[in-house]
Amino acid sequence: MSAWLQQVIERGQGIDDWLSPARARALDALSNTSWPTRCTESWKYTSLTALEQLDLTAESAEQPSTVEPIPGVDGLDLVFKNGVLQTDLAQLNLPAGLQITSVQTTSAVQQVIATTLFSQIKPKHHLFGLVNDALAGDVLFIDIEQNSHIGQPIRIISLSTGGHESHHRVLVRLGNQAKATLIEQALGQQNSLSTGFTECDLGEQAELEHYRLAMHTGEAIYFGGCHFCLHHHANLNSTLIGYGSQLSRTDIDIIHNGEHAKAKLNAVYLLGESEHFDLHSTIEHAKPNGTTEENVRGIVGDKANAVFNGRIHIHRDAQKTLAELNNRNLLLSRRGQINTKPELEIYADDVQCAHGATVAEIEEEALYYLMSRGISRSKALVMLNYGFIQELINQMPNQQLAQWLEPQLRARFKEMEVR
Amino acid sequence: MLTIKNLHARVEQKNILNNLNLAIKPGEVHAIMGPNGAGKSTLGYVLSGREGYEVLDGQVDFQGQDLLEMETEDRARHGLFLAFQYPVEIPGVSNMEFMKESVNAMRQHRGEEPLTAAEFLKKAKEACKQVQLPLDFLKRGVNEGFSGGEKKRNEIMQMILLEPTLCILDESDSGLDVDALQVVANGVNSQRDGKRSFIVITHYQRLLDYIEPDFVHILANGKVVKSGDASLAKQIEQEGYAFLGLDTSEEASA
Ligand SMILES: Nc1ncnc2c1ncn2[C@@H]1O[C@H](COP(=O)(O)OP(=O)(O)OP(=O)(O)O)[C@@H](O)[C@H]1O
Ligand SMILES: [Mg+2]
Repeated sequence: MSAWLQQVIERGQGIDDWLSPARARALDALSNTSWPTRCTESWKYTSLTALEQLDLTAESAEQPSTVEPIPGVDGLDLVFKNGVLQTDLAQLNLPAGLQITSVQTTSAVQQVIATTLFSQIKPKHHLFGLVNDALAGDVLFIDIEQNSHIGQPIRIISLSTGGHESHHRVLVRLGNQAKATLIEQALGQQNSLSTGFTECDLGEQAELEHYRLAMHTGEAIYFGGCHFCLHHHANLNSTLIGYGSQLSRTDIDIIHNGEHAKAKLNAVYLLGESEHFDLHSTIEHAKPNGTTEENVRGIVGDKANAVFNGRIHIHRDAQKTLAELNNRNLLLSRRGQINTKPELEIYADDVQCAHGATVAEIEEEALYYLMSRGISRSKALVMLNYGFIQELINQMPNQQLAQWLEPQLRARFKEMEVR
Repeated sequence: MLTIKNLHARVEQKNILNNLNLAIKPGEVHAIMGPNGAGKSTLGYVLSGREGYEVLDGQVDFQGQDLLEMETEDRARHGLFLAFQYPVEIPGVSNMEFMKESVNAMRQHRGEEPLTAAEFLKKAKEACKQVQLPLDFLKRGVNEGFSGGEKKRNEIMQMILLEPTLCILDESDSGLDVDALQVVANGVNSQRDGKRSFIVITHYQRLLDYIEPDFVHILANGKVVKSGDASLAKQIEQEGYAFLGLDTSEEASA
């Protein structure tokens, strides 16, 4: 048992609320968990040394970046700062069919529903998911009634500042035929540790448009998770944008738990300097006739380190599944590293599946072509890099969000060194 | 405009240009013909500053400046334009973004304000029309999935938008249907203003019926072996290169 895990367990035991029974199960699991090493398969390329050595004594004077509005996106903003909800939920003007409560305000009736989500959709094997189970304070419960179409995007921003540890948790239930958009943005630069896990249950024919912007950089350590359960004919369209920090990891799980469900997952990671980003995704096709389309693209410059592990598991009953997983990488620097591993596990015989992963370099010929038209080398590189991910950005259903992201993503390339 | 003296260049340890000389005055059109592998495209690449094309000897003066000392993008900003024999496909970068960036790079170089998206769109639409490319080609990835002829038109469109002072057209006529040939030729002729100069690399006399050259040069084994007026092109069309008595074997150029 690591000292770090030990203190997590001790702190977790001190929390007492209606989630305690579920938290106790997580604590139990944690006390039986051995600390990952390089020999632990799911942590093979991601070392936890930075976490072990994390010093949170220096509290930074840095003000958390203020929450920028997204032009054209009239979002319903919910702000967490260092894990503490800043938004007064009582003051929110919510459309009919939408309820948002935090652990203190969730009604007894809703607690029953929330309990069916909390740590139920998220698989038990995520170490930091268990930590989050144990320590997440302001657990947010977003409940969308059946048949309700919530047009206004729900935007959850979590800021971490220097010297803080925080754990935030979001539970989302979409009733049958409900529709909603969820934008989750996580930010931080200074020495901090944050975990952010979200569990979403998509009822029959429900539709969720989801964005996770994992934008921790610098010293900010981040462990995130998005876990979705799709029922009959449910439709998930999810986009992940990942930056890297000294240690940043996101786990995604999508479970096809009803027939004819559809999942589209686009993920982009952009890493420079000595940043690290690890993305693990698992798609479980437990029922027949499901569709998954997963496209993951990454650009890695300088001495950065990307890890991608994409698993698609087609259970024996999941006949007529259509699943595609594609991971393409652009490696800008010889000192950068990309470890990619798509895995298909198929136990049904009548399915269509494809997967592939590539690592390429910038094409000198394309660079020359752009430069021969007067475009500077650095600008040409930004254009080519952005071009590499543009297709996925263009596929974001919310193009206002895409336009807001574009200059930020381009700016990241400017700082990436090429060679 | 352009003076090339004693130019020697190599690619991948292979000497390709051997003592090439050429002088071009403002407003002139020079056609360059010559057998496959003579070094015509290489000349274009060397002039535009492609990486890997190593100049071993010689000078190139472009409007009073040492061209060989300039970076690729600076050569372009100073008015040198190369229409590629094989234009490069760049999926992900839209033709529109590409051309807007390049037009604005030129404007910046001249100390002018960049064009707004709307201003650029207006210009781009006109240029599209001039080379008879449908407008949706602006939205597509640079040359992505364009047919051979469409790529060539796209090159001419860039030339029109960038308003260069020296245009090098590397086989802009090959692979074109008769109508497209006319489009390309009109594109070039519309840019002839007495000051702008052209190097037209071609295998066929046919283009020169539309774009009348002041001089025709035969490039073989990495140097200009014969120069003349438009009638030289006609002679080659009829007789081939045999009458030059060239030794086109590898050793001759090594
Ligand atoms: N990267 C390279 N490596 C090796 N040889 C090269 C390279 N690039 C060009 N060459 C050689 O240099 C010679 C000249 O090529 P170039 O493309 O300039 O010919 P060209 O005159 O344009 O011919 P064409 O009429 O067929 O277009 C050819 O023999 C070609 O194979
Ligand atoms: Mg050629």
